[in-house]
Amino acid sequence: MADPRDDLDTWMRAQIQPLPPPPGTFELIRKRARRRKMARAAAAAASAAAVIAVVATVPRLVITQLNLGPGPASSGAQVGQTSSAGAHHHQRQPSATARPTPATGPASSAPPAAPPNFAATSVTFVGTSTGYVLGQAGTPGHCGPPKPFICTSLAGTGDGGKTWHGVSAPVTGAAKGRSGVSQVRFYNTSDGWAFGPQLWATHNGGQTWHQIDTGGRRVTALETAGQRVFAVWADCTGTGTGWAAGCTGQALYSAAPGSNRWAPVPGAAASLNLNGTASAAALMLTGSRGYLLPPSGVLVSGPVSNAGAWAPVTGSAAPCLPGAAQADGQPSGALLAAAGTSGLVLVCPDAAAGRVVYTSANGGRTWRQAGTAPAVGTATSAAGTSTGSIVLATTAGIDVSTDGGATWTPAAGTLPAGGFSYAGMTTPSQGVAVPADSSVHAVWLTYDGGMTWQESPIK
Amino acid sequence: MDRLRTSDRAAAEELFNACYPRLAGWVRRLVDDDDTAHEIAAEAFTRLLGRWSRLDNPQSYLYMIATNLVRDHWRKTGRERRALQSVGATAVADPAYHPAQDVHVRELLQALPDRLRSAFLLHYYAGFPVRDVAALLGRPEGTIKADLFQARARLRAALGESDG
Repeated sequence: MADPRDDLDTWMRAQIQPLPPPPGTFELIRKRARRRKMARAAAAAASAAAVIAVVATVPRLVITQLNLGPGPASSGAQVGQTSSAGAHHHQRQPSATARPTPATGPASSAPPAAPPNFAATSVTFVGTSTGYVLGQAGTPGHCGPPKPFICTSLAGTGDGGKTWHGVSAPVTGAAKGRSGVSQVRFYNTSDGWAFGPQLWATHNGGQTWHQIDTGGRRVTALETAGQRVFAVWADCTGTGTGWAAGCTGQALYSAAPGSNRWAPVPGAAASLNLNGTASAAALMLTGSRGYLLPPSGVLVSGPVSNAGAWAPVTGSAAPCLPGAAQADGQPSGALLAAAGTSGLVLVCPDAAAGRVVYTSANGGRTWRQAGTAPAVGTATSAAGTSTGSIVLATTAGIDVSTDGGATWTPAAGTLPAGGFSYAGMTTPSQGVAVPADSSVHAVWLTYDGGMTWQESPIK
Repeated sequence: MDRLRTSDRAAAEELFNACYPRLAGWVRRLVDDDDTAHEIAAEAFTRLLGRWSRLDNPQSYLYMIATNLVRDHWRKTGRERRALQSVGATAVADPAYHPAQDVHVRELLQALPDRLRSAFLLHYYAGFPVRDVAALLGRPEGTIKADLFQARARLRAALGESDG
């Protein structure tokens, strides 16, 4: 007999497939709501007229009998009054300046402005228009409610970064030791996660956030693709802003995007034995497969559909190891990306050459040296596109290769001093980057495959 | 009659764009076809717009309405199915359209008492935390937890019986 738990758990965990509205649905709904309101108003008016007629008649009779005039009709309290936004939601931080959120403000007007002094630490886009930036904003002591010293904030855009507005953020501080968050990812406009080191989830576009219990482990990486969200949970000893340091035990967990039920990914655990070595792990997902480069250097791969176990890639020996974690939890050594239809890219620090780029056309079984990237600054993040371009963020700027890593061109535009801590590509042409110096209160956007970047102030 | 102000309309449209696909997908797993899912999701949004200025948490309200509409749909189709079966017709819905598991669990969910089913759907399926479900249903958190436990136990028992 099958375990009855299987059917029920599988059903509950199964991802909800969004069902887009047929064209014109919103207009139809709006008109229908308006018609009903008019009908209710007409019914209420008719009913009020009947009441007035009764009131006008009865007092006359009473006057006759008691010689008392009718008092004025008492006016009831105004209907339609709203309670304060967020009164029922303890686990959200409307913004650093306590503005109501666009979705929950009962009679909200325009979306609230993004909070001031927005120091971005992470960015994510779902599609070319909608994106979210996580960071610290406002002035400690004047943030919230509910907590004036918690200033973790979220800004959203619906126009590809042209403008930003405030979105509710999890009520937790900046990343520090085992607490707070520093990174953000969204699967769609509903399901998103703030992480590093804590893990928080929203399933209503940021209206409310709840913390996921990781059993004290720190979430050092999280990515979402296909029908799942994957995250690296690690036992770390780093303190303060070095929260991702000293990670000596890691596990790959996953969940359906709409669920808070995280579970270890089958098959991945055996490959993550660190033997006491503190190191980061690189996690990267494509539309169909996920790749994890653990401290051992043996690439682990599996489907992003929850349809099977992950397993070490046969014969895999990455040309370099992830090494220690950067401030955002990403490896300081090997940077893993995907470019082209199935190619993997690994950017390795090299004492002699500076920065060597390797590619693999067989899912990481073998690697070949594709070229050498400019040895300027420190590489912080690598991203690829479906057309094969590679975008490399460094503390000196951004370098781009359109030929699989063979040759590189420095990106143009007014770039921030200190370079970038992250760069990601949403489409082959559109991408976003986070400056290493968050005090510039902006992110950078590209619309030409990374060749030129422009500042998008978060305000 | 006050129409939605332009700013309210923008906010409502934003909520619609953000929530409709997921709400309709949520409903779709509980009903027999896309059209019914759209019908229920659209009706939930229509009722939401009718109360737009008085709502503190529109999304919770949406799922609450949708849960009630799904329950009404189940009742109605149950009646129709029984009526059709009584004259020798086949079932209204085509079970083959869904994975068997979906239909199976859904049927068991339909058999749960309202009290358990609403809490179960809102928590396990719509993803609302126990605290929010308690606020939505106007019951203490402890009661909701007990209801969830009982709902799971009943479903597991039912699944176990049907498997055996």
